[in-house]
Amino acid sequence: MKYAIVALLGLLLGAAAGGAVIYYNPFTQPSPPSADGADHALHYDLPGEVLSFTPGSDVVPPGTPKRDDVFWEETIGRTALLSLVLEDAHDKPAAVASRLLAVSSRTDLLLAGVRVNDYWLLTIPGEGTLFLRAETNVWPFLKETLPVWYFGRHWKGPTDYRPTAGPGADGSALVVGATGRFAGLEGSAVEKYRITDLDPASRSAAATGEIDLKLASSRVAAGQ
Amino acid sequence: MKFTFLFALLLGFGGVLAAGHFVPWGAQVRLPSQTRVVANGGRSERFVIRLPVDRVAAAGAKSAGLRAETTAGARALPPELTAEPLLVEHYKLRDAAGNVVGLAARHWSGDARAAGTAWSLMIPSRGAMLLTAPGEARGALDAALRNSGYSPGSAWTGEVRVAFAPGGADTAVVAAGSDEFAGLDGRYSELWTITGVSETGELRGTIEIDTITRRGS
Repeated sequence: MKYAIVALLGLLLGAAAGGAVIYYNPFTQPSPPSADGADHALHYDLPGEVLSFTPGSDVVPPGTPKRDDVFWEETIGRTALLSLVLEDAHDKPAAVASRLLAVSSRTDLLLAGVRVNDYWLLTIPGEGTLFLRAETNVWPFLKETLPVWYFGRHWKGPTDYRPTAGPGADGSALVVGATGRFAGLEGSAVEKYRITDLDPASRSAAATGEIDLKLASSRVAAGQ
Repeated sequence: MKFTFLFALLLGFGGVLAAGHFVPWGAQVRLPSQTRVVANGGRSERFVIRLPVDRVAAAGAKSAGLRAETTAGARALPPELTAEPLLVEHYKLRDAAGNVVGLAARHWSGDARAAGTAWSLMIPSRGAMLLTAPGEARGALDAALRNSGYSPGSAWTGEVRVAFAPGGADTAVVAAGSDEFAGLDGRYSELWTITGVSETGELRGTIEIDTITRRGS
């Protein structure tokens, strides 16, 4: 009996130490690329500029007020669909974006963090549409918000995040021009956002964000 | 006893780290792909959207017609973005067998400088595809419905088929992809079959997106 108690104590202490290593693990901290030289910088405000948001049933944080419009199908239970308006440097609505998000199979709590595939369709009226393919590391965000939401820990915000973690070689998101003057262009993008408020009661957050886009001629057009 | 404690400590520590690394936390449920091999190489795959059940949200300029009606719970586009014809639509996406397998976003713009259609199709377990086409004429679906007897404000039943991207058109292309769809070239067609419109303008019918892709050179 004494051995069993000692073994259980050792197991729990070891598991707690393992959890601490995962929590403070530097490997899961994003090393974001620079956004210098961006052609377009568009910013948004959450939830103020959200047109619609529908989460999958498996990504709704427990304790969140019940909503009926979640994706209940098991194939899209770990996804979300977010549509938002983006503003230009003069705070005028300049673009509309549809973001299809899905938890990534590259999620690895030890080496990569919690990864989300984030596919944007971004239309700037009068200019055209861009397709952005981003991999986002939301682990730093979750590490800070979950203890505030669930354990009442004091929040030390506002906090800045630069979650873009690929799939570009330098850690930036990939951009493909789809229509209008963007057709045939390729480029990169980096997103950053600032959490300005956390509400434990509704398990929600308020944020301001920015997407910086850098475009160049396509590799085919450039003869590469 | 000391050995037992240390062994359990290491077991707990290693177990948590191993779980963090090896447990597939991000795994998505995958259904068998409904793909077919085509005679001259490549593969074809049909995606289906059923209206109205698969319509998640929409927002657009009034000039974009019936489809621009904002869905319940969604906000309208600000006026600055509707000076030009613009339509943003979101749907659940089904495979040819009718199973929901993903999500889709469609952006259409009808202004002269930036006209075009772009689809983003995401199947969480397989990746995403970008489809692009020149885009249908403004109000194309509304015009086809009116020609078949539909009048705004009253219910209508019948069958109208409108090819927004006709089969065989080289301008409707698979422009980019990720994961399983990375490196694929190909074409697509987009056919809207509308079998009814409610008094409030809600559409009933299907959207069929047929893709033919092959590995790019």
